[in-house]
Amino acid sequence: MKNFDFALLGTRAVQYRLVIMLVAVAVFGGLSLDDFLTVNTLQSVLDRATVVGFLALGLTPVLIAGQIDLSIGSMMSMAGITTIFMQPVIGNVPAAAAGVAVGILIGAVNALMVVVFKINSLVATLATLLIFASLALLLTNSYPLSSEDPIFGLPLTADFLWILTPRSAIFLTAAVLMFVWLKLTPTGRNLYAVGSDAPAATSSGINANGYIATSFILSGFFAGLAGMMQSLSTAAGSPVAGAVMLIPAITAVVIGGTRLEGGRGSSLATLGGVLALGALTTALEYNGVPSYTQAIYTGLLLILLISLDRIVSGHGGASSRAQRSVRVAPRNTPLPRRNA
Amino acid sequence: MNQLVAPAKSLDKSKTPGALFSTLSIPIAILVLVVIGSVASPSFLTVNNLTNVLNANSAVGLIALGMTFVMVSGGLADLSVPANVAMGALVTLGAQESMGTGLAALMGLLVASMGGVVNGILIGYLRINPIIATLGTGSVLLGLSQLLVGGGIVYAQPSALSTFVKSSILGIPVFIWIFIFVALILHPLLARTSFGRWSLAVGGNYQAAQASAVPVRFTKAAAFAMTGFLAGLCGVLLALSNGQARPIIGTGYEFVAITAVVIGGTSVFGGNGSVLRTVGGVLITALIGNLIILLGFPSQATGLITGAIVLGAVGIDAYFRRKAGRL
Repeated sequence: MKNFDFALLGTRAVQYRLVIMLVAVAVFGGLSLDDFLTVNTLQSVLDRATVVGFLALGLTPVLIAGQIDLSIGSMMSMAGITTIFMQPVIGNVPAAAAGVAVGILIGAVNALMVVVFKINSLVATLATLLIFASLALLLTNSYPLSSEDPIFGLPLTADFLWILTPRSAIFLTAAVLMFVWLKLTPTGRNLYAVGSDAPAATSSGINANGYIATSFILSGFFAGLAGMMQSLSTAAGSPVAGAVMLIPAITAVVIGGTRLEGGRGSSLATLGGVLALGALTTALEYNGVPSYTQAIYTGLLLILLISLDRIVSGHGGASSRAQRSVRVAPRNTPLPRRNA
Repeated sequence: MNQLVAPAKSLDKSKTPGALFSTLSIPIAILVLVVIGSVASPSFLTVNNLTNVLNANSAVGLIALGMTFVMVSGGLADLSVPANVAMGALVTLGAQESMGTGLAALMGLLVASMGGVVNGILIGYLRINPIIATLGTGSVLLGLSQLLVGGGIVYAQPSALSTFVKSSILGIPVFIWIFIFVALILHPLLARTSFGRWSLAVGGNYQAAQASAVPVRFTKAAAFAMTGFLAGLCGVLLALSNGQARPIIGTGYEFVAITAVVIGGTSVFGGNGSVLRTVGGVLITALIGNLIILLGFPSQATGLITGAIVLGAVGIDAYFRRKAGRL
């Protein structure tokens, strides 16, 4: 009986982990800092979470489709330097669009590699991670570009609607729109089907490859958006801006509860993960904790949440193993396949 | 070089173009690179240059050997490598003064191996996705290693061990000897022992391996523990030979190691692969890096060319596999 209660407690802890985290951060921040619980802090948390947020948001459909995209950081760097480089050439707004377009283009390259050439997404995006990180350094000769028009990007982080800044407003809107797409439209639901069992989805008439390709292009679009906004608001295009973003972005998505195994996840959960992570880093930073110590907390948090999820949900993975064998079975046994 | 002939034995077993391609691609690629190199630059085909190339790549080669077991057993990849390299290096140099170089190096190895064991428990026993688990442990361990030295740099004191690491035996640097030694142990471990067959079985079909009483959890965990140990060894050796270490010492090594393993032809899905192929992959990446510098390309281009080669190699391999499957 005692054992059962413990399991229930664990389940609840996993279920409400975002709420628990946010409350814990608020209590910790409120106790350790005098003016932590203010509207300003909330605005700052939201604004600073935006860049990682866009990357995490783009990663969400990719993970739901059962794939992974390691190249988001490189796409972000490429988009950033493109935006800043093109500013004096074609003007501010077209340059921003060009930055996003570069993200979409690299996303399309990823899609091509995974869908047409059938390269495992881990390897394909690892390769594009290397290629475009290297290209960003080559194009800029390893030096950050500074913007010709540093004033243009400033409004992105200005005050807007109480707790929002323009870029965090765009981020929140994008998260809600993606939630509507994923949960309330047939195409969104099809993406989950592709992620949980691509062969079965194909058998039932879903164009699995199309959905996977779309998810990579979306990821490129959001990484491009992240790079464009980051470079405009800092008025600089750094070739390594995205290099450190991959881990926080994956952490945020996973804290939110999207699974790497595919077929599960939600953009609002990702939004929660981004906010929880952003609040934690902000509270630690305001307390003067150095960034490498923050990495320890973030990493521990990630491991703790995943382990807890594993232990609680499946008693060491039993249920997921059952799920997986169900998923694998039709592929290994020839009979159902022929019928289909 | 004669080691690379070994995979050719399997030639008569399977005659599909795909099998032929995978078997011959590594020796051919190495040959092509050597020919390009000797045509492009007179300084390429010299003992001095080739020794330097191998010496510079032995460190990351050690990690690639461990990563082979990770991939073969279906563990995808170990992304905590840079953290374990940093741990091995920083603990060694940090503890050098208080406990002597030999003991400090052992401490470094022990701490990095512990990191690997933690990965192993999380992935093998708790069955957490390897990418997530090693991202998490990597983040924690790198943070800890930075905390250890306050984010700065540690210098080595002169010692007999570091002189030894920097020396040569029979004209070949100790670094290369260590790499050859480890490869000579690990190749039969994967190809000839029960543990090797377990690794292949676990990566090939987890459920079937489990049903056949293979210690699936242990096998998977051991691959990560081994990679942690080898990353630590790499860190210890780098720290002793460079005379200094900083937390970023192993940055990017995980990707270089994965690239070497993938170029060697080990499947990312697990279930097949060999240490010898990884040695070939390490040679290929090493030669490419050297050629880029000799041909006068900027060094930033390394990632561009390596990435393109990974895509090409894996793409062609995937194409032949599909073709073979249809036949």
